[in-house]
Amino acid sequence: MEIKNTAIAGTLESSDIQIMLSQGNNGIEIELESEVKAKFGAQINAVITETLKQYEIENAKVKAVDKGALDCVIKARTITVAQRALGIADQPAWEVF
Amino acid sequence: MSTELADLNLNRRPVYKKWQELLISRDISNFSVEEVNNIDETIGLFDNEQHLLATGSIAGNVLKYIAIKAGHEENGAIFNQIVTELTNRLVRRGFTHFFVFTKPEYSHSFKFVGFQELASSRFGVVLEKGTTTITDYLMSLPHSPNQAEKSVAAIVMHANPFTLGHQFLVRKAAQENDLVYVFVVKNDASLFSTEERMRLVQEGTKEWKNVFVVSGADYLVSYATFPAYFLKTPDDVIKYQTTLDARIFRDLIAPALNIKKRYLGTEPFSHTTGIYNQTLLRELPPAVQPIVLERKKSAEGKLITATEVRMAIKERKVENISHFIPQTTMTFIKDNIDNLEKRIKKGMKISGN
Repeated sequence: MEIKNTAIAGTLESSDIQIMLSQGNNGIEIELESEVKAKFGAQINAVITETLKQYEIENAKVKAVDKGALDCVIKARTITVAQRALGIADQPAWEVF
Repeated sequence: MSTELADLNLNRRPVYKKWQELLISRDISNFSVEEVNNIDETIGLFDNEQHLLATGSIAGNVLKYIAIKAGHEENGAIFNQIVTELTNRLVRRGFTHFFVFTKPEYSHSFKFVGFQELASSRFGVVLEKGTTTITDYLMSLPHSPNQAEKSVAAIVMHANPFTLGHQFLVRKAAQENDLVYVFVVKNDASLFSTEERMRLVQEGTKEWKNVFVVSGADYLVSYATFPAYFLKTPDDVIKYQTTLDARIFRDLIAPALNIKKRYLGTEPFSHTTGIYNQTLLRELPPAVQPIVLERKKSAEGKLITATEVRMAIKERKVENISHFIPQTTMTFIKDNIDNLEKRIKKGMKISGN
């Protein structure tokens, strides 16, 4: 699906992640800022990419600031930001949950 | 400790006082009317006894006046909470690209929440976050083949509106270099809108095929990085802002485009632009060579300034300035004189830069 507008979800508070999603043209490009990037960076990126794929988003720029979020939080924030960026925040895609 | 986030209404005297006290205690001391009036929203974080623990504001796409009470600043959570709230408010207002000016010692706190440093000086740093960043901006600019082997120059202009003086600078640069970038200042608080100014620069420089007219976006003399250009500001603040502006140009923009020269017009009238030129002369060499040209005079020997042009529009004496502006600008002014006059009547400032 096409990203319509840049959107943001999540916070910068402990155990959360803030994700900004905008149009891209070179696959899913993720810029991740995290204190645990060395150990968990690949896993965080995988959760984000996997969730975006479920929305059939092929191209996107992702800027994520992680504050120690668990996978379920990362997924929840990605779902929210995807719904906002696609302009479908009022039509939850149940199959992704 | 439970805390509560709330809007601060700075128009209320007691609120303003509390807010100012906190900022002063953290060494933030610029409360000029222009700066404060420019704020769009201010938030405060209170403890359960209604003490103000932290505050932050947004003005346009800039985060400002962020402070955390002494004794609480080690608590990164408070800082993160303030920045989160301000970010969300900016996005709600439609900004997805924002800036912060802060002291060098706080730079790392902002980097920690996803900001990237654009430039730094002893007195302050400027950082950005979001899309599109300076990397995206530089990639979006037009390039010419083999640019790395060419002599490339730059001119930054507000062109409010485009005069024969601006044209003279562009002509010189176009004759002396293979390629010239004309960066037009992006700001819609001027009599001529950004779009109109861009158009008039394009029309007035059409005869030179080696000139790219581009937007300076948020990186050159913008409301974000150099507010003093638009607001009355003390000299030391102007010096600090112009230093950051010059360093963004020198360290990020010029190398990406192989710019080796920057053309400047002498500035006899505007105090702020005068300081800006001094800063550029100090900061740009040796990476970029500044080339200063005497300000162009009209046939009768009068100095050409855009301010004079705006004054003539206000007084409806457009024929007086025919020797100040190219035909293209004159046609636009004549076609839009009613509209321009309406803007002046509505309170658009014409005296500034």
